[in-house]
Amino acid sequence: MKPHLITALTLTASLAMAASSDPSLPSWDETEHKQLEDSGWTPGTSLPTVAPTPDPAAEPEPAPLDADQPTPEEVAESAAPVAKIAEKFLPAYFDARPESYLIDPQHILDHQSARDRLAFLESHAGDSTIDLFIYIFGKDQEIPGEVREEELVERFFSSGRPAMIIYYFFGQPQQSVLYLSPSLTDAVSAAEQRRALTSSVMLALEKTDPTDQLEAFTVQLAIRIYWMERMLQAAAPTGNNLQPAAPNQPPKTTHQKLTLAQRVDGMTLLLHPYLRSTAWGGGIAALALAFGWWWRRRTTFRLPEFEVEPPLGGHHEPGMGAVISFASPTLPPASQREQVPDYLRRPGSR
Amino acid sequence: MKCPRCGQKIHRAAPSCPHCGFTLDEADQQFGSDDVRLSRLADTAGILRRRERDRVEQTMEAFNRRFPQLFIAVYTGALGEIGQLRQFGFWLLNRGAFEDVPVEKPNAAGILMLIDAESKAAGITFGYLLDPFLEEGDTFNCLSRAHSHWLEGRYADGIIKAIQQLETVLRKRCHQARRDQERFERRVCPQPKVDDMVQRIRSGHRPPATAPGNPPHEEYPQPEEVEP
Repeated sequence: MKPHLITALTLTASLAMAASSDPSLPSWDETEHKQLEDSGWTPGTSLPTVAPTPDPAAEPEPAPLDADQPTPEEVAESAAPVAKIAEKFLPAYFDARPESYLIDPQHILDHQSARDRLAFLESHAGDSTIDLFIYIFGKDQEIPGEVREEELVERFFSSGRPAMIIYYFFGQPQQSVLYLSPSLTDAVSAAEQRRALTSSVMLALEKTDPTDQLEAFTVQLAIRIYWMERMLQAAAPTGNNLQPAAPNQPPKTTHQKLTLAQRVDGMTLLLHPYLRSTAWGGGIAALALAFGWWWRRRTTFRLPEFEVEPPLGGHHEPGMGAVISFASPTLPPASQREQVPDYLRRPGSR
Repeated sequence: MKCPRCGQKIHRAAPSCPHCGFTLDEADQQFGSDDVRLSRLADTAGILRRRERDRVEQTMEAFNRRFPQLFIAVYTGALGEIGQLRQFGFWLLNRGAFEDVPVEKPNAAGILMLIDAESKAAGITFGYLLDPFLEEGDTFNCLSRAHSHWLEGRYADGIIKAIQQLETVLRKRCHQARRDQERFERRVCPQPKVDDMVQRIRSGHRPPATAPGNPPHEEYPQPEEVEP
């Protein structure tokens, strides 16, 4: 240990002395600079000297561009969507309460996607007490200024089942807007609404295809609605605030009251090929067993009859079966198998 | 078969036991010569509760349904000695008139289970229709199945177990009889004479047209499983 320590101390001391004895950088004046540059010296590109600090005051001002600056209105317009919804589609969007859960009069979604989304929304409506309405708009479209969305929601969705209304811009899920029907606005806080929308948008943005984005968005929203329902039911056990306001709405069946999670599990069970084949096999085996049991119960047996003379002058009974004693647990049946008269038994054989 | 009194083997057609001279007349002298009217389940010892009686009757009914030729009866009483059990069973199956058994089922097709609650013994006797198909060992196995239940005083459970075991045995015998009827026939019918055997060999083991004392084989009743 000691030699190592001495070596380390010596090395440290020599390094400190070397550092203190470094020569200072050379200083160059302008004349020497000029002479060096004139001589054609280029290697190193710079001289090992302290560069002079540029003087900002000495730099010239850039010349202004010869163009008009945009006005604040123009700046605002450039950030806004440019496309407008055609007049002929506006009534379908904003004139009445929609009859379908998916409102897409412009046919922005292709046929298959629209059918899939509508099927999902209808399925959700069967599961949940809160309906989900999705209005589909184009990516760059804007809702006309004369349309007051909150007022429309209040007008159309005051009656009927509680609903969540989404204005969804296809390909731009982050522009989506969420509204709740008046029966829900007091029950669901603004923060909860914002969380639901944000999480749905986040999941949608994980996809690149706009159709996939819409699918992810609606699925996540349906899940958030499920948790909203749970929260509301916990807050109000009677669930009065979630009961359908319109008496003409048909009551939901027990099947429809299955939760979304249960339905997802059920679908997984139905769709998984292995589980499906196992379930089929089990069902068929159970049926076969049940049929076999039933058949065996109903089967009757007949014995052949032979002419037998009744012995001992009796009329009916010739067969003497066994006799067994159950007086003592120490006398098991095995010891009684040999059924001979007592007087024929050897002493001590039992 | 065995003599109900001395338990020694005797010939099936013996008019009386060559060892002890036992006959039905002697049993009549002991128990009575008149027919006795009783139900299929006669619990004279009173060892079965109402619910237990129902269970036993259901099992008996199921047995009767499965074997339409046969019936099963259960008698519980206090008979005294174990030796009496065999004689009483012999006598009861000959003199008993079971009220709830259809008339087309003779006692020869009956199986009687006897339980003596006093001497703690049980036995089975059966009519001659079953003589080719049931052996003493079969009935012993049935009673053995019930033994543990009866030890604990659970008479109904024991009876049910014994009947179920009997059902299993008879079902098996029925299948065997379908395959080899002669095997069971030989147990109860006299052996053919030497002349008959020679004739059978010469005829290539074809069944004879008429055997002395026996119907032609074509007319033999065939065992069958009747489908519902």
